[in-house]
Amino acid sequence: MSHLTRVKTRLSIHAHRKVRGLLEGEYAAVQVGRGIDFNDLREYVRGDDVKDIDWKASARSRMLLVRRYVAERKHTVVLAVSTGRSMAAMNDAQVGKRDLAVFVTGVIGYLAVRHGDLVALVHGDERRQHVRPPDNGELYLERLLGIVHDAITPDAGHSDLAAVLDYVKCAIRRRAILVVISDETTISDPVAAALRRLTAQHEVLFLTIGDLDPTLAAGAAVGGGARAPQRLVDVDAGAEVPSWLRGDARLQQEYAALVAGEESQLRRRLDQLGVVHEQVRDTESAITAVFRVLERHRHARRR
Amino acid sequence: MELKWPWLVLLLTLLLVALLAVWVRTWRTRQPAGASYVAHAARLRALPRYQVLVQRRRLLGGFGSLAALVACAGGIVLGGRVQETQVIDRDEATRDIVLCLDASGSSAPWNSEVAQEYRAIVDELDGDRVGLTIWNNAAISKIPLTDDYGVVRDQLDIAQEAFAGFDEYFPSEEFNDFTAGTFIQEGPDRSSLIGDGLASCVQRFDRLDEDRGRALILATDGEQRGRGVFDLAEAADYAADAGVVIHVITNPGEPQREGDLAGLQAAAETTGGSFAELGTGGSTEEVVEQINRLETTEIDRPPLVQTLDRPRAGQVLAGIGVGLLVVVWVVQGLIALAGRRSS
Repeated sequence: MSHLTRVKTRLSIHAHRKVRGLLEGEYAAVQVGRGIDFNDLREYVRGDDVKDIDWKASARSRMLLVRRYVAERKHTVVLAVSTGRSMAAMNDAQVGKRDLAVFVTGVIGYLAVRHGDLVALVHGDERRQHVRPPDNGELYLERLLGIVHDAITPDAGHSDLAAVLDYVKCAIRRRAILVVISDETTISDPVAAALRRLTAQHEVLFLTIGDLDPTLAAGAAVGGGARAPQRLVDVDAGAEVPSWLRGDARLQQEYAALVAGEESQLRRRLDQLGVVHEQVRDTESAITAVFRVLERHRHARRR
Repeated sequence: MELKWPWLVLLLTLLLVALLAVWVRTWRTRQPAGASYVAHAARLRALPRYQVLVQRRRLLGGFGSLAALVACAGGIVLGGRVQETQVIDRDEATRDIVLCLDASGSSAPWNSEVAQEYRAIVDELDGDRVGLTIWNNAAISKIPLTDDYGVVRDQLDIAQEAFAGFDEYFPSEEFNDFTAGTFIQEGPDRSSLIGDGLASCVQRFDRLDEDRGRALILATDGEQRGRGVFDLAEAADYAADAGVVIHVITNPGEPQREGDLAGLQAAAETTGGSFAELGTGGSTEEVVEQINRLETTEIDRPPLVQTLDRPRAGQVLAGIGVGLLVVVWVVQGLIALAGRRSS
């Protein structure tokens, strides 16, 4: 239970009010959808199904109202993790992206399990993709986390989120909450197409994990008492990042600008696709990020 | 020029090539131990600064590699030991000739010509050792016995120039320099001590235990003021005892006193030498002929084969290589420092 234990410990340490709320069932609120149990009425916003409009209530209140139902109790949370080799790299000077991915997956999975939902896992790289069918229980989640952890190695295939998403499309038939955990820096056209298709069927939440800045000088202090690694290997190319690339101030600036630009580009693209997105920067802020994504998702639905 | 150990050059070159191959291979696929992985570093390649850095790196790397190769080449050449074999003919002519020049004021005006005469004689010689001693009331060695004719000729040229600058009252600086030490003013007024001069010249012969032909070419006017340790006859006997043949070239000098030239002629005859007057012609040939007639017991020694290391080329090559390397490293360090400091 090592992976899940870590998640639980973190969650209990991180006694954030909202997280407690999540743990106590606030999670359900995310799942306002088209179930059987009537919940409440709210004002129509563009995109709501016309079938849901409560014409009588609308006539009474003189504004367009739609019925909201509590979605079915048992949801399926599909964790789609891109486990290509780029995930085996470092997130920052201290934490690997793998640990962070496992942790984020664990947090979401744990929330789902606590809620009694089913958890499924789809993971893979460019070479092959795998699916674990929906099931419940912490033990199952722990196994899924172990699979994710073991799948991420520097020898794995290159990351290919589009392939994973396409695989989700084929493998997951039922409507689900799809949580995509990847380290994409841009949304490529195949990914965008896959996301567009998936958003039609599922609720899609998108979490990205960042990268270590390769331009940091070897041994440079990066805050928190950590130091940049002495030697860096580009996991995609399998070659060392030459020392003359590291520590150059101009390059660092340009790289930072590039990363910022790509991030905003990614955000804009995902916003266009209607996918809620959050960047996970480190373990400390991971829970907050997970929560924020859930929160934003809920707001997006309530809009 | 040849290599003492050509096989070593071959071996080192092969080793260098092998090392380069191994290095390139490991460099291509190296995965340093304890390295951290970073993803999406390929994004760097799109950055303009990256291109600049790559260009710079290429330049520096190219220079550095070149420098290293040059240094290696230098090392290999050094390792091969470039050598030069010199065959030194040791069949030395076993004749020694001392040019014995009177530098006194009476002879000095003529000595330019005498020096020319000496040069003519020296030009005719081959392999014999030649020395130059000048004297007035003291003798100094201008050249000890040597077979380095270049030095002898140079010195005779200097002598010619020096004596050309002679003047009884205002001698030139060259003259003073050249004849410095030949006139000692202490004691009674003595100058142009032929006997002492001759004896001193005789003493310039070395390797007295060897059976060598010895000739002395005395150039003087025969005039002597005051008395020295030796008189002319004694000096001639001394020379004869030492087996030295005295050839005399007289110059007109000052108005002669009776017996001056006779004494010289006697000295020449005592030792079996020639006697000639300056400018009468034929003196050179005669002297040379006589010298050549001197018995030379050539000691037949095998030629001396000397192999000398000539490490210069290797040193220069290695030095250039190492120097370039240092320059490249320094430049690289400075650039890196500047890159870190900038902005």
